[in-house]
Amino acid sequence: MVEIARALVCRDLRLALRRRADVATALLFFVIVASLFPLGVGAEPNLLRSIAPGVIWVAALLASILSLARLFADDFADGTLEQMLLGAAPLGVVVAAKAAAHWLVCGLPLVLLAPLLALQYDLPGPLAGMLALSLALGTPVLSLIGAIGAALTLGLRGGGVLLSLLVLPLYVPVLVLGAGSVEMASAGLGGQGQLLLLAALLVVAAAAAPWAIAAALRISSE
Amino acid sequence: MKWFWYASPETFFPLAGTIARICAVAAAVFAVAGLYVGFFVAPTDAQQGEVYRIIFIHVPAAWMSMFLYVLMAAWAALGLALNTRLSAMMARALAPTGALFTFIALWTGSLWGRPTWGTFWVWDARLTSELILLFLYFGFMALQASIEDRRRSDRAGAVLAIVGAVNVPIIYYSVQWWNTLHQGASVSFSRAPSMAATMFTGMILMALAFWMYSIAVSLTRVRCMMREEK
Amino acid sequence: MKPRHKRLAAIGIGVVALGVATALVLKAFEENLVFFFTPTQVAAREAPQGRTFRIGGMVVPGSVKRDGVEVRFVVTDTAKNIPVAYRGALPDLFREGKGVVAQGQLGPDGLFTAREVLAKHDENYMPPEAAHALGKAALEKAQKSVVITK
Repeated sequence: MVEIARALVCRDLRLALRRRADVATALLFFVIVASLFPLGVGAEPNLLRSIAPGVIWVAALLASILSLARLFADDFADGTLEQMLLGAAPLGVVVAAKAAAHWLVCGLPLVLLAPLLALQYDLPGPLAGMLALSLALGTPVLSLIGAIGAALTLGLRGGGVLLSLLVLPLYVPVLVLGAGSVEMASAGLGGQGQLLLLAALLVVAAAAAPWAIAAALRISSE
Repeated sequence: MKWFWYASPETFFPLAGTIARICAVAAAVFAVAGLYVGFFVAPTDAQQGEVYRIIFIHVPAAWMSMFLYVLMAAWAALGLALNTRLSAMMARALAPTGALFTFIALWTGSLWGRPTWGTFWVWDARLTSELILLFLYFGFMALQASIEDRRRSDRAGAVLAIVGAVNVPIIYYSVQWWNTLHQGASVSFSRAPSMAATMFTGMILMALAFWMYSIAVSLTRVRCMMREEK
Repeated sequence: MKPRHKRLAAIGIGVVALGVATALVLKAFEENLVFFFTPTQVAAREAPQGRTFRIGGMVVPGSVKRDGVEVRFVVTDTAKNIPVAYRGALPDLFREGKGVVAQGQLGPDGLFTAREVLAKHDENYMPPEAAHALGKAALEKAQKSVVITK
């Protein structure tokens, strides 16, 4: 079981490395969106400091959605997906591995880039760290829930936009808890509670989402 | 096993028609009674005057919007598990009505907000949750509309509805918390029911009216779907 | 893997996940999840000093005093009272005896200096409480309709 998962993750990582441009585009989108807000609302430092957690979190949500459309599409196109569905490996493990690879390629870079963006907003060090931590807990959940949407909209025309409509409302708790934890920390009141709740969401999503993703994949490829 | 007798579309068709007609009449009766109680019998609110009366539409519509989502998810799950066409049709038929009530709740909520809070939209917990619920309904309808194969459309919608239903409590509580982060907990000092009995009666009557309406409309929609497929 | 083993593994993962998640949630509720404090908590020194937080409660009737630009009132949760000072325009819904939320900082002297006052519409729709107040209004209305001829 573990070998299958590891093999799948390595395969996806290798494929992503060969298509570096796709990955880089989503990250660049993240940076651009976060940089647009000061242009829109003005560069007043207090304002920027107060909107930073929310803005960076929303940019992370949008960047995640951009990269999700491709999660199953390539495998679907070249027939690998069918092999996975027919294969002996439990589908739940397969999709969990794919979601994990997606996070490594698209989510982890967001976590690492966030402190740089926090510099743009003059967010103090500890808060930037809190932001990165909240993203580290939240982006895997985004990958898992987003994978459900990607599986449901597989092969549909206008799939990308439809995917966003389906998945963004489900992202709301993660956004609220993630940005909220940083806001609590900025008011000097910890924010650990929100991080613990995010961790709980992650555990539940990791256990339950693979089932839904597998079911959705089977439905979409009949 | 009488349920499975009615699970066949042919036998369900006439039954649906009868139920729809009865419920349409019931809806009209309840609506008249509810509006009468709401607008003429219930007393004036001490702080808001007459404007508050819009809650007789706003609150039952909000109740209905949430109830119908759960119902829709339940029918969809049933269809997925038992592979029955009719269950999937019921879920598909409920969605537009649920979305309508969500929209009514949002619209009346914001109309009420204008004179009481000064703005049309106040990002309070209930309105925000209703807005997200509207997006969930739209997502469900959009997904079903974009899949041409009926069977895949039903089953994909079912998975989405179930995932949504599981998430609704989480979304609700996180929005509640978010609201307290920015607006403070709702301060209430009386432990007894805070509404006069007549107000409560009015809202219950309107809720029943909306429920009867939903049954009538969705059953009619299911009949249309059955005719389309013939 | 045998199907029965698979099912056991799935159930096992589910149970473990639920357990871990529950433990995390319980731990989360031990922390302070909101930065909103009641007067009792403020009086018990649970609220941070020198940092912004929110205090909520009811405005004590008769406690509102205006002193030029500044207005002072007292917030209570029927157990403890906290004095609040605020410079600025109070919102329309601000009334004595009704709910209020103030955001600001607690000073060393126990006075809460508010930078923002939010009068939240409280969820109790209370019709005029005394039964004879209703009766009085009805009586006046009846008298007026006698005078106005249609």
